[in-house]
Amino acid sequence: MSVKVLIPTPLQKLTHDQPTIDCDGANIAELLESLEQNCPGIKARICDEQGQLRRFVNFYVNSEDIRFLEGVNTPLQDGDEVSIIPAIAGG
Amino acid sequence: MQTLTPTELERYRRQIMLPGFGEASQQRLKDSTVLVTGVGGLGATAALYLAVAGVGRLILLRGGELRLDDMNRQVLMTHDWVGKPRVFKAKATLEAINPDVQIDAICEYVSPENVDDLVQAADVVLDCAHNFIERDLLNAACVRWGKPMVEAAMNDMEAYLTTIVPGLTPCLSCIFPEKPDWDKRGFGVLGAVSGTLACLTALEAIKLITGLGTPLLSQLLTMDLSRAEFSKRHPYHDPDCPVCGDKSRRLAVTRQEEPCFSHS
Repeated sequence: MSVKVLIPTPLQKLTHDQPTIDCDGANIAELLESLEQNCPGIKARICDEQGQLRRFVNFYVNSEDIRFLEGVNTPLQDGDEVSIIPAIAGG
Repeated sequence: MQTLTPTELERYRRQIMLPGFGEASQQRLKDSTVLVTGVGGLGATAALYLAVAGVGRLILLRGGELRLDDMNRQVLMTHDWVGKPRVFKAKATLEAINPDVQIDAICEYVSPENVDDLVQAADVVLDCAHNFIERDLLNAACVRWGKPMVEAAMNDMEAYLTTIVPGLTPCLSCIFPEKPDWDKRGFGVLGAVSGTLACLTALEAIKLITGLGTPLLSQLLTMDLSRAEFSKRHPYHDPDCPVCGDKSRRLAVTRQEEPCFSHS
C-alpha cells in the first residue's frame, strides 16, 4: 500500500529536497513511523516529546483535516494523499 | 454614502462590466474600509489592487523603515525611499495612482493597545503581518468584533490563504492552535510569489464586500508555486476553540432557529 505524503518546504531538508515522499501505513501513526524510517529526524519536527502531533502543524488526508476524522488513528487507503501544512507567517 | 462620480464610473467601467458586479458592487467598494496590516510584499501589493478597484478607505498599518532588501517585492516603494518609514510612501504611491481613495497610513505594528480601535474601524481586515504575534492579536480582535479577516501567509515558494468569518468559519486559532518559532527574515521570497498571494488576498476582500463569486470560507487554499500546485483543503473548526468557540456555538444556535439562514 502506498500513500503520497506532501512535504512542506521547511522539512524538505530531511527529504533530500523532495516535495513528495511515498510511504506505507494503515493509519497516520504508522505513516509517521514509515516517514521517520525514510527520513530520519522528521518525526521530531512534527511531534512533541510525548509523540503527540505538534499543534502548529495540520495533517490532511486528501482534503480533510484529520481532527475531523480520527486523528492519528485515521485509516489510510492505497492512493491517499497526506499533506503536512505548518503554520507560516511570511508577509 | 456618496454616489459614484462620473470620473469613478469611467475609471471602474471595465470591472463594472463584470457579470454580477455592476454599479451596486462598485458603490459597496466605495463605501467600504479595509484594514491592511503589514505593508510588505504581501500587504502593500494587496492594498494596490484594492486601491485601483476603488475601495473607499484603506488603513495601512506597518511600523519600521524601508530596507534595500525589501525592494525585490515592495512595488509601492522607490529606491530613494530606503531608510524612511515605508507606510507613508505606500500612501503617497496609492494616492498618486487613485486620488479618489482615502488612505490612512499608520506607522505602527499591531499591538494590544491599537488593535481593537483599528479592527472596529474596518469592514474587512487583511492579515498580512510578518509574525505570529501580530497575526494572533488581529485574529482575536476580528473574532471579538465580528469582522471578516482574510488570512494570507507565505514561506519560500509556498503560501496559504483562507477567509475567516468569526463563528461561521474556523479562525486562525482553530486551524493552528499553537505557532512555531518564526524568523521573519529567515526565508527566501520572490516578489512574484508574494505578489501572486497578494492578488488572491485582495480578491477575497473584493468578494466579501461585493458578493462577487465565492470566497474561501472554511477552505484553506494552499499553493506550492515552485510546482504551480494549488489545492483547497477543509481546515478544522474547533468547537472548543478558546478564541472563537463561544461565538461559533452562539451562531450555531441562531442558525438552527433560522433554518433559512445560509451563507455563500
